[in-house]
Amino acid sequence: MSLALRIALREMRAGLRGGLRGFRVFLLCLMLGVAAIAAVGLVREAIRQGLAEQGATLLGGDAQYGFTYRRATDAERGWIASHAARVSETITMRSMIGVGDAFTLTQIKAVDAAYPLNGRLVLDPPDAVLDEKKGVPGAFVDGVLADRLGLVPGARFTLGGKTFEMRARLLSEPDSTGRDTLFGPRTLVSLSALEGTPMLAPGSLFDSAYRVQLRPGDDLVTLKRQAAAQFHGTGMNWTDSRRPSPGTERFTDQLSAFLVLVGLAGLAVGGSGMSSATSAWISSKAETIATLRALGASAGLVRRVFAVQLGVLTVLGIALGLLLGAGLVMAAAPQIAGALPFPVAVGLSVRPLASAALFGALTVVLFTLWPLGRMTRIGAARLYRPGRAGGWPGWGAVVSSAVVLIVLAGAACAETGRTGLSLAVLGGVAAALVLLALMGRGIGALARRLRPLGRGRPVLHLALAALGGPGGEGRAVMISLGLGLTVLSSIGQIEAGLRSAIRNDLPAVAPAFFLIDILPDDRAALLDRLAALPGVTRTETAPMLRGVIDRINGRPAREVGGDHWVLRGDRGVTFAETPREKLTAGSWWPAGYDGPPQASFAAKEGAELGLKLGDRIGVNILGREIEATITSFRDVDFSTAGIGFVLTLDPAALAGAPHTEIATVYATPAAEAPVLRLIGHDFPNVTAIGVRGALERVGEALASVSKAVLLAASVTLAVGFVVLIGAAAGGEGARAREAAVLRSLGATRATVLASFALRAALAGAVAGIVAVAGGVLAGWAVMDRVMNLPYSIAWGPAFAIVVAGVGAVVLAQIAFALRPLGLRPARVLREAE
Amino acid sequence: MADTVLSVADARLVLDGGAGPVEILRGITLNINRSESVGLVGPSGSGKSSLLMLMGGLERASDGRVTALGEDLGALSEDALARFRRGAMGIVFQSFHLVPTMTARENVALPLEIAGAPDAWERAGAELETVGLGHRAGHYPAEMSGGEQQRTALARALVTRPAILLADEPTGNLDQANGAAVMDLMFRLRTEYGTTLILVTHAPELAARCDRVVRIEDGRIAADEDRA
Repeated sequence: MSLALRIALREMRAGLRGGLRGFRVFLLCLMLGVAAIAAVGLVREAIRQGLAEQGATLLGGDAQYGFTYRRATDAERGWIASHAARVSETITMRSMIGVGDAFTLTQIKAVDAAYPLNGRLVLDPPDAVLDEKKGVPGAFVDGVLADRLGLVPGARFTLGGKTFEMRARLLSEPDSTGRDTLFGPRTLVSLSALEGTPMLAPGSLFDSAYRVQLRPGDDLVTLKRQAAAQFHGTGMNWTDSRRPSPGTERFTDQLSAFLVLVGLAGLAVGGSGMSSATSAWISSKAETIATLRALGASAGLVRRVFAVQLGVLTVLGIALGLLLGAGLVMAAAPQIAGALPFPVAVGLSVRPLASAALFGALTVVLFTLWPLGRMTRIGAARLYRPGRAGGWPGWGAVVSSAVVLIVLAGAACAETGRTGLSLAVLGGVAAALVLLALMGRGIGALARRLRPLGRGRPVLHLALAALGGPGGEGRAVMISLGLGLTVLSSIGQIEAGLRSAIRNDLPAVAPAFFLIDILPDDRAALLDRLAALPGVTRTETAPMLRGVIDRINGRPAREVGGDHWVLRGDRGVTFAETPREKLTAGSWWPAGYDGPPQASFAAKEGAELGLKLGDRIGVNILGREIEATITSFRDVDFSTAGIGFVLTLDPAALAGAPHTEIATVYATPAAEAPVLRLIGHDFPNVTAIGVRGALERVGEALASVSKAVLLAASVTLAVGFVVLIGAAAGGEGARAREAAVLRSLGATRATVLASFALRAALAGAVAGIVAVAGGVLAGWAVMDRVMNLPYSIAWGPAFAIVVAGVGAVVLAQIAFALRPLGLRPARVLREAE
Repeated sequence: MADTVLSVADARLVLDGGAGPVEILRGITLNINRSESVGLVGPSGSGKSSLLMLMGGLERASDGRVTALGEDLGALSEDALARFRRGAMGIVFQSFHLVPTMTARENVALPLEIAGAPDAWERAGAELETVGLGHRAGHYPAEMSGGEQQRTALARALVTRPAILLADEPTGNLDQANGAAVMDLMFRLRTEYGTTLILVTHAPELAARCDRVVRIEDGRIAADEDRA
């Protein structure tokens, strides 16, 4: 056993008699931070594994050929069938389900007899079928939707004007991740029941999918390559069971990346507490260090002795954190599994636990290098003197810290898979810590300047002296509480901003309904009928087709524009004789233009993709590849929820292409029911999507996301509170002495307590105000810069943060002031002599 | 008895120790007259500092009675004791016990501010000049020497012009030269202000400067020598 290890073990044995008293804050901070990251990691791993294991079931087959706006041709169907053991066709679309005068939005899934290839439907009653009975086709209706419409098995209703009979409540579909029914609950019907109806007419908005089971011996990689060659230029989307729901995966990864980063912020807050605890511990060991140095121990040996002890504590803290994180996830496993729309097995896995341990260890190293560095730079004589070791830690510690910081940032980027976001958040945390430290100094400087105000007011004088004097208390409060409050404040401001945008700002200018699948022949009649309804203030229409932007200047679009949302999946495309929006560059095509295709692109998105006038944009519409030259850019404001297309083509470019129209109906809330009735009864193939309801569903989705984020942020705050409590507990002795001295000078207990509370309130208020400022900055950046939404300060959450800051610090201070105040001054002073 | 400012009658003090109750004072009876200077001497652990704390109301007698300026200290609440000390007593400790976050002048002004004196700041400045520390008024305790800190503590104890000055080994943490300077100052100001001084000390030469020397041994008065 090495000398350092032997000495360290002896030291620890002696230290353990004190029951790790000085290390409670160290261990708690480490434990909470590691637990948060471990918990997030385990849940994410469960979702990933669930997606991977259930891939074929969630997708509905080993692979899926998807088409937008059309079904596969006979030749395409033949090729698909010849490369599969089994094929199942499904069509999904939005439609209006009607019972009497009540109409509401539903997502239809029309399936063939082979459905489902994998898994099974859960129905009530379980043995129901979709076959026609007495000429009326059957349907399975989502349980909640059926309840809302008062439907029971045997009841009849209309879908797109056609009558169906409800056969069963649809309790679960094997091939659903829950994301596909965000804008309407499911109604499942037979594919044959829709054939021949206007719902599948050319131009209608529907998606078709051909799920296949592989033939024995085939593999996905080969089949994907063959399919890409076979269906090149047809607009076919390939998905396979290796990544059955890229959207869900992306959402899960984004959310968990954010949660991991919030957990890291918690560790950073805890790091400040660990650093203080380490400094205090080293100070308390000054005599031991001095003795070792006096006996000839090198600085390296002393450093190793203390590093070994810190290492043991770190292992203990990490182990406790992993236990807590895993324990919480396992305890909440049924709730977590129940909240997800597809089966997951929440369990323990090594990778997320290992990453949490790594982050914990790196944080400890980062935050203890400086105290350790300072310790080894101080000579024996200095250590014998009273006072804390402070000052420059040496270049070794600085360089090592930089290296650890880089490793930590790299690990965070690797863990979250989002370099930009990770660096932005870590940079933000570092900047916030520096800012808070500066603000702590600022409080001290301000308190010193304000000191004359305290003259003759002993309570204020003592508070200002405590904040402004040597070792001012403000700094510790700012670091320990400030970051946690800032994270919470940022989330509060962003969430309030989003809610406000959804609830208040958008509906003021947004339409009441989007109407889709309007047949061009019905357009005039529909507009007339809508205009005649009282409360309908305006209706706008535009032709719409859907297409995939797949080439830019002859190159694959993704190569040029990366993962930009405009290039992700199919987009609405329109054509127009005159511009709907203001042109920002270029010129519009002349009336009756019949030359090579021209395009007008949304200016902001065009700039993000690096497009300029004269660039060629390739779009696949209904399997037909159209290449148009960009001749203008338009200022499209998507935030108004009105009609807005990224891509508009000249009418001749799309001449003859079957299309439908979309419309936006602006109406008062009282006019919404009559609009729905008119559409349901007289234009059954038109689907009305209520914007208010859609926004409410977005709000609900947002609420569950913000709940998860708030939970993670509360860990940061809890860690901050632990650090705060630790600082308050560490200062208990000093406060006891101060209280005893003040009482010996004639101060009553109320005066002493008021002084303690006032200094805490002042420090807490400044921490709260800094947090609000940080939150407002984050809120503005996200709302205004990232989301292009109007931002105004949410004063409610801001005020709550300041109150929480003040409350937390005052409570912590008072809690640790009551005992000293109850002691006889003589006993305290005797101990201090 | 008209001149008695401090009276201790059969005072006992029992404190909880690790191994059970410890009897610190075993029935002390002592009367101290106005303007008298009394040195409490005795070996370490004899109970002299505890007796001083009883006289200052910083500790409560387990039994017996302590009266200061006619007030029965045992009958007063903790806050009433604090209020009583404001104008009546000044205390100097061995470890100075200055508020580390306050400058010398702020420390001296503190008892006056607590007492609600409107001219606390000015009087504190003047008192610091008196103890020869006018030039250190803006310094924090950590920036001053031990002797300077104790002179500040003395200024703080005397700035309210208390009737009674209690000093617990005021030179115990000072070197000989600084200790002698502080004591010279203390005795000079006591005489100047007419303050009653009760001083705990180990130093025979300091005790010799007092009007009266009371020797405490094992919680009892072993000797009471009037030297005036």
